[in-house]
Amino acid sequence: MDLVKAFGAQKVVDGLNLRISPGEFFSILGSSGCGKTTTLRLIAGFEQPSSGHVLLDGVDMTNTPPNRRNVNTVFQHYALFPHLDVFDNVAFGPRRARVDPGEVKRRVGEALELVQLAGYEKRKPAQLSGGQQQRVALARSLVLKPAVLLLDEPLGALDAKLRKQLQAELKALQRQVGITFIYVTHDQEEALTMSDRIAVMSRGRVEQVAAPREVYEEPASVFVADFLGVSNLMSAMAGGMSGVGGRMIRLGNFELRAECGDGSIQGRAKITIRPERVRIEPRGSGGENRIPGTIERCDYLGSAMQLVVRLVTGDLIHVQLQNTGEPLEFPRGAAVHAHLPAGALRVLADPGEDDGKG
Amino acid sequence: MRREATRRSRGSRWLALLTWGYVLLSLWPVVVAIQFSFNAGRSMTSWQGFSLTRWYFGDPVYSVWHDPTLQSALMQSLKLAALDMSIATPLGVLLALGLTRWRSPLASASNFLMLLPMVTPEIVTGVAFSLVILHLFVFLHPGTLAQALGHVTFSLSYVVVIVRGRLVSIGRQYEEAAADLGATPWQSLRYVLLPLLLPAIFASLMIVFAISIDDFVISQWLSCGAGCDTVPIRIYGAARARQTPAVNALAALMVYSTLIALGVAYLLFRFLTRGERASGTSPGAAVTTVGGLEW
Amino acid sequence: MYPKWLWRVLALPGIAWLIALFLVPFYAVIGVALGGVDPIFQNPVPAWNPLQWKFSSLLDTLEGFLPGHEYWRIFLRTTEYVAVAVSVCLLIGYPVAYYVSRHARRSKPWLIALLVLPFWISYLMRMLAWTNLFAPAGLVNELLELAHVTRNPPDWLNGNPVSVILALVYGYIPYLILPLLAALDRIDQSLLDAARDLGASPLQTFLRVTLPLSKTGVLGAVVVIGLPMFGDYYTPNVVSGSPQTSMIGNLIDIFFHGGPQPSIGASLTLILTMFLAALTAYYLFTVNRAHRESAP
Repeated sequence: MDLVKAFGAQKVVDGLNLRISPGEFFSILGSSGCGKTTTLRLIAGFEQPSSGHVLLDGVDMTNTPPNRRNVNTVFQHYALFPHLDVFDNVAFGPRRARVDPGEVKRRVGEALELVQLAGYEKRKPAQLSGGQQQRVALARSLVLKPAVLLLDEPLGALDAKLRKQLQAELKALQRQVGITFIYVTHDQEEALTMSDRIAVMSRGRVEQVAAPREVYEEPASVFVADFLGVSNLMSAMAGGMSGVGGRMIRLGNFELRAECGDGSIQGRAKITIRPERVRIEPRGSGGENRIPGTIERCDYLGSAMQLVVRLVTGDLIHVQLQNTGEPLEFPRGAAVHAHLPAGALRVLADPGEDDGKG
Repeated sequence: MRREATRRSRGSRWLALLTWGYVLLSLWPVVVAIQFSFNAGRSMTSWQGFSLTRWYFGDPVYSVWHDPTLQSALMQSLKLAALDMSIATPLGVLLALGLTRWRSPLASASNFLMLLPMVTPEIVTGVAFSLVILHLFVFLHPGTLAQALGHVTFSLSYVVVIVRGRLVSIGRQYEEAAADLGATPWQSLRYVLLPLLLPAIFASLMIVFAISIDDFVISQWLSCGAGCDTVPIRIYGAARARQTPAVNALAALMVYSTLIALGVAYLLFRFLTRGERASGTSPGAAVTTVGGLEW
Repeated sequence: MYPKWLWRVLALPGIAWLIALFLVPFYAVIGVALGGVDPIFQNPVPAWNPLQWKFSSLLDTLEGFLPGHEYWRIFLRTTEYVAVAVSVCLLIGYPVAYYVSRHARRSKPWLIALLVLPFWISYLMRMLAWTNLFAPAGLVNELLELAHVTRNPPDWLNGNPVSVILALVYGYIPYLILPLLAALDRIDQSLLDAARDLGASPLQTFLRVTLPLSKTGVLGAVVVIGLPMFGDYYTPNVVSGSPQTSMIGNLIDIFFHGGPQPSIGASLTLILTMFLAALTAYYLFTVNRAHRESAP
């Protein structure tokens, strides 16, 4: 039903190629300046691509002006018309489409009910709280029943608690109306919680497009690994194939086996492992992928224990241990073995001088 | 530490004294002049009792209401102000829209051109205008039309500055939202941009009124004689001659009207932008250009 | 969203107006100044074609400004008046602007309103008020007599250069204070706090931080009042009827309205404009250089 395919190509957005499925909650994740807002504006029609096309349902919309695309946007600062009250704001779209007044009233009522703001018709935007303004912006866009709804960091201006609440509401809303949502954010937690699929962008290019689980557990590049959660990146040399599966990696003086990641990488590479997959064992334990190290720091978080371990190779890794009720002692300076299980160790291409800063 | 604090407050107390002293001294002559417009006697310098109406409309020969020369000056000033308002404001709004959103080297040159009248000494503009009427635009004679044209020329810059301040503080977001919701460019202008510009347009109207009423040099250089004299020209003529406090009354009327116009502009502006103060947009930039000039 | 040509078209009427009624009149000044004079009627005949421009008349007038020639004294006098008036304006205006900007708390909006007020009171009205006060029977002389300062108060309004200068100060100082206030407001308070934190006394902070940072603001404000002051002719006329206090503006005024040689008036206007333009260019150049130095 709603298929959006866009290859935009300006210096800001470079060789972008996205295919978004109907009815999905699709997030574009990245830090500021990565081109995610520009991508959104390309889809909405406020920017023209230097080359490439924007297709909606197979129809080329690249040259259609924004007021004729069946796409609506919720702007970052809502852009609610300050001189109109809530009713007139939401009614703006239908009125411009020459819907007759009775029908306008019905639709506006419906939209406001959807966002739980029935009864607020006469208020002016300045009299509303941030969360309420955001809902009016939503209602204003949804009343037109667009094929795609674009959201540009809509929760950025709200405080943490409100944000969590609205995240859940937005997700539920999307399920309810079934419209494709394209959601732009720099907050990885937001993206992970809400999306069906995430596109991670950096410097105008898409680094990876996948479901949240895949993006977190199986990052395709150093940037993605680093952007979502802690990545424990280490520089290593990729070696040959291992007999039992995976590759042999040389980290300092140690030979490790890594089962995940890009099998074609040769030479200089980066390896990564998530903090929750690292095991801490007392010195002297044998087995593959064990590296001696010392505890530098130990923070008790209640639900978990966070350790910072300095390996003998010089690398610093973060470890997260779930609180299983066992009394664990990790005094500073204690000598331990860090076990990096082969099934959790991932090989990624070394991006060069950037050193993973993306 | 405490010694330093008292030293500082002593220094700033002198400054406070100077400041308030200056403010009072700068307004005191005007207050006195207005006071003398209520003088019961004929002197402009010695107080002879209070009479509310003698020089405004009481005295059958000399009061503003009865003296034909004073009346015609008042009429002329109002006429020019009306012409100025009705031409300079629309022209200026269009110019502000065009200049703010047009990006090209030609646009910057036009912007410079728009600012020039503000920085040119008035005598130069007066000379230029009267010469061009004499030698080039001979179909124009010194008189009301020429005066009006001159007024509009220097009022334009003020309108542009005021409207532009408002445009910049609005930004493009509302028009983009309108387009996003299906409005054509025309609908976007009509239902979103123009309503949002209304405060600045009203403010411009009032300010053009105040500027036009107070203008002296251009009006004098393009005047056709006694019939085209405006209030400031009358005051100029009267300042050294033996006159009655009717002149004070005339000048006082001008002050009242300017202050009322400014008050209306300010209040209207605040009223029309009341929907914006709590939310993200800030009309602040435009408000400071209402009160003074954009520095 | 909007067609590309829209903004150009909207700006067109205004630009056309400015060209026709601002640039063209100025060209007329050039045309008359560099044109000829009809030998019979002694009317100026403007030369519109640049190839027909005659610089002899302009150069003659320019020569008049050299020391010893006919306009030298007026030029000197005008420069004197403007220099003194601007200095006095600064002397009074800077502390006032400084106080309002940095020290006034609750009274700040009121003070700003009161400072803006003279802007909107007609200049002529303020001059009228001034003359009323300084008239022979006016309040100022009364006060002077009361205070036993002199028995014979001076005649303020007859060819008294002090009156002219004081009137210029009174008239123009509001136009200086406001830009200065804006410039002082723009100085970041945290810079001053840093200076105090590092051990500077209030006076040192002012001399070493505030004053240098306000330099461009001061220069700007001086230009804003200096330029119009140079062309002022009505202030001397109102406050002192005598040619002893004439300024360049008066000269131009006379040539146009009194005398038979508007072309000389045009030349004078041209010279005045070029002089002021040179000053402005110098100012812009200095500001530009300061900007480039402060923002690497």
